[in-house]
Amino acid sequence: MKQHLYIEMDNCIGCRSCLAACTQCGGHDERNRNYVYDVNPLVNRQTIPLMCLHCVNPACARSCPAQAIQVTPEGAVLSALVEKCIGCQNCTIACPYGIPKFDEEQNLMYKCDLCYDRTKDGIPPMCASVCPTNTLQWLTEDELKAKRESHELGRWTASRLPDDPLVGETNVKISLPGILQGKVKLF
Amino acid sequence: MPKDKFFKVIENRTHPGEKLVDTHCSYCGMQCGMKLRVDTSTNRIIGVEPRYDWPVTLGKMCPKGVTAYQQTNHDDRLLKPLIRDDRSLRGTKMGFREATWEEAYGLIVRKFQELQSGFGKDSLSVFSGVSMTNEKCYLTGKFARVALQTRYIDYNGRFCMSSAAAGFMRTFGVDRGSTLPWTDLHETDCLFIAGSNTAECHPTSMFRVWEVQNRGGYLIVADPRETPIARRADVHLDLRPGTDLALANCMVNLLIQGGYADREFVEKHTNGFDAMLEVVKQFTPEYTSEITGVAPEKLIRAAEIYGKAPNAVVMFARGIEQQHKGVDNVSAYTNMSLVTGKIGRPKSGVATFTGQGNGQGGREHGQKADALPGYRKIANPKHVEEVCKVWGITPEEMPQPGVSAYEMFGLMQDKTIRGLYLLCSNPAVSAPNLNEVRAALMNLDFMVCCDMFLSESAEFADVVLPTVTWSEDEGTVTNLEGRVIKINKAQEPLGESKPDWEIQVELAERLGRGQYFRHLKTARDINDEFRLASKGGYADYYGATWEKIEEQQGVFWPCRDEADPGTPHMFLDKKFYHPDGKALLCALPYRPPAEEPCGDYPLRLTTGRVVYHYLSGNQTRRIPFLRDMCPEPFVEVHPETAKRYGIAHEEMVRVRTRRGEAEFKVKITEAIRRDTVFVPYHFGHEKSVNLLTIAALDPTSKMPEFKACAAEIEKLTAAPAAQAQEPIKEVIQT
Repeated sequence: MKQHLYIEMDNCIGCRSCLAACTQCGGHDERNRNYVYDVNPLVNRQTIPLMCLHCVNPACARSCPAQAIQVTPEGAVLSALVEKCIGCQNCTIACPYGIPKFDEEQNLMYKCDLCYDRTKDGIPPMCASVCPTNTLQWLTEDELKAKRESHELGRWTASRLPDDPLVGETNVKISLPGILQGKVKLF
Repeated sequence: MPKDKFFKVIENRTHPGEKLVDTHCSYCGMQCGMKLRVDTSTNRIIGVEPRYDWPVTLGKMCPKGVTAYQQTNHDDRLLKPLIRDDRSLRGTKMGFREATWEEAYGLIVRKFQELQSGFGKDSLSVFSGVSMTNEKCYLTGKFARVALQTRYIDYNGRFCMSSAAAGFMRTFGVDRGSTLPWTDLHETDCLFIAGSNTAECHPTSMFRVWEVQNRGGYLIVADPRETPIARRADVHLDLRPGTDLALANCMVNLLIQGGYADREFVEKHTNGFDAMLEVVKQFTPEYTSEITGVAPEKLIRAAEIYGKAPNAVVMFARGIEQQHKGVDNVSAYTNMSLVTGKIGRPKSGVATFTGQGNGQGGREHGQKADALPGYRKIANPKHVEEVCKVWGITPEEMPQPGVSAYEMFGLMQDKTIRGLYLLCSNPAVSAPNLNEVRAALMNLDFMVCCDMFLSESAEFADVVLPTVTWSEDEGTVTNLEGRVIKINKAQEPLGESKPDWEIQVELAERLGRGQYFRHLKTARDINDEFRLASKGGYADYYGATWEKIEEQQGVFWPCRDEADPGTPHMFLDKKFYHPDGKALLCALPYRPPAEEPCGDYPLRLTTGRVVYHYLSGNQTRRIPFLRDMCPEPFVEVHPETAKRYGIAHEEMVRVRTRRGEAEFKVKITEAIRRDTVFVPYHFGHEKSVNLLTIAALDPTSKMPEFKACAAEIEKLTAAPAAQAQEPIKEVIQT
């Protein structure tokens, strides 16, 4: 069954377990490929995780002149293939979310591959496995449907222009912040 | 054990040439389940995998847990015993040479015997910790009393857990940190959390906390800081540090006034209601607001929510316990549960977040100055007799009760105590009033430190013995629920390091007390003996065998025999552990913090943790990921307070109290009160905030008041004389 990474923004406490866990994934060379940002550190320390959103039509792959970036049948956008990547860094410029990073030594792009060695077998990615707050969840289609019914889901946009080519469908789903404000209380 | 709604069957990813070893994290009381990845060709730990089938945490880990395995094969590990011949170098990292175990043992035995023959048996002391297994904690108590025959043993739980322990003892007659399993938490309707930065200190509780709100339940947080959990609370009671007792009394008063008291429960199952009512009734919202600084409306709303909730859990942590009235704070918050009858049933009760890995088990098995295994008391002749039977000594041989952890440093200063055997603790960072404590350590005639790294405390030692990490030994620990769990061995000890229990058995042999120890050849042998020693005590572990722990995924104590599955929920029969079966509602008059702000020290200083570090940081500061995330301490200052002092974000300032001073980088944030500053305590040497904290002790638990003292900030860059501002002399009130 197809599963999705789902981000419930309100839950994040900024512990960065997801970053630590990312370094533990096989083949990640102990480097994290996801990020956590402080929204307004001097005020309330709200944080948001930013993972690769695994776009359906990813700008990084589209911009790659060497076709080094593969998209799997499940929708995971992989790191650049070693034998194909020419180190031009087009992908790092094209991605509206700043996800692909460049390794100068290896002359190679690296990015979140949704722990493909795990997720292809239904095992959650490391970041969602360890996330102590359920900010990052690994949901089945049914569970995602239930979330859609109870939460308003949003989508990342990199531009305010309505017809911006960078805005598109992503395989990672997010909830809009503030969802709990409308929650019906038990008593 | 029943599975909760979050449980999913997930297979682990295994890689060729590796095996996975089921165990638990080395750090806080959550004891998150994890699997260590071990390379089968080298037998070395190389990574970590989530343990999805562990019912409490379901594979979730905080950044410390994910990287915990990195301490085992860390370059800083001590691999051989170290001896320092030149005593003038004590207090530094210098002057150590490597030695054999035999030479180190020989020196320790000779020095210990010299001191004891010259100054009496009680000239030696043992200072231990509770980040170690039940077996080690038990054996350390026996080692002090039977091998060293000294009365002076105590442990760092005095800086962490002892107020909760004493508070529960007084109220319930028993001290089990949580009256319900964690798998109940997300099913309750209201969480009242006081003095706990849960998101940073026990992050893997958070998915259950958020679920309470997701279901439409309520979250009330009492904390001077707007921590990540307080930020999302339905009511945030932002009280002044050290004023919890007034707030708790006010809650109880409002619950009674609002008609939320369960009269029948109070009548049948508690004592002391009238005396308590007499004290709490003066704590009106207005009066309490004057003391705590919390708006009366918020107090009223919080009591209303808690009162109306069909099920509710009161939880607390060091914020209320590390005060010189910590025990009273615990009993006062517990009164809320008793008055409303929200205890002794599933989904309701009280719980404390245990700071150290085995904070619960470590305080039950005889490491405390006045305690024996199974929560027995040295002052009770019957208890002494029961333990003596297991140990094979006579009651006359049992040393008298000693003094608490901080008080031991006073006895080192006046030379009553001349030798120290320190293990699993780093008091040169974690004790309050550090200038005094470091002077006391310097004053020792001889000091042994057992550690896996050269800690700040090891710098004062004459002999340092290399011990193993948690993953190189096996045994049981008791997590914050009161669930006894099993730590498994993943790799052989590195270098010549040895488990603490093995060191103690070998030292006892050389001290001429081998007959009481030499039958203990494995951790399992010690487990068998300590279960027997706890049998019949309050904390009865007799039925918690290793097989049962594995079979049931943990065993909640008390577990009295093999047929007993253990006790996940306490007091289901509404029987408390006092002789008449009733709990005590305590009447607790308010006392202010030991030190209040004044003209010279107009601010309140409070301390706590960050998510990236554990206790004194001896382990976590060495791990690259954690060090990079938080390399140094900081002082949190409110923007308006910063404006008054003319200090900017990330500027260095000097923070002063009556006991010392230290320099920290400023972190300006609206998450702190205007009258309060906060510094995390994980850092050593001149960066330790405990140079500033006050050693005012709780009269019962002897817990120091880490959470409140009077302080002043100084700008470091001297202002030109013409522009020099008058120092702020009035207390900042909000």
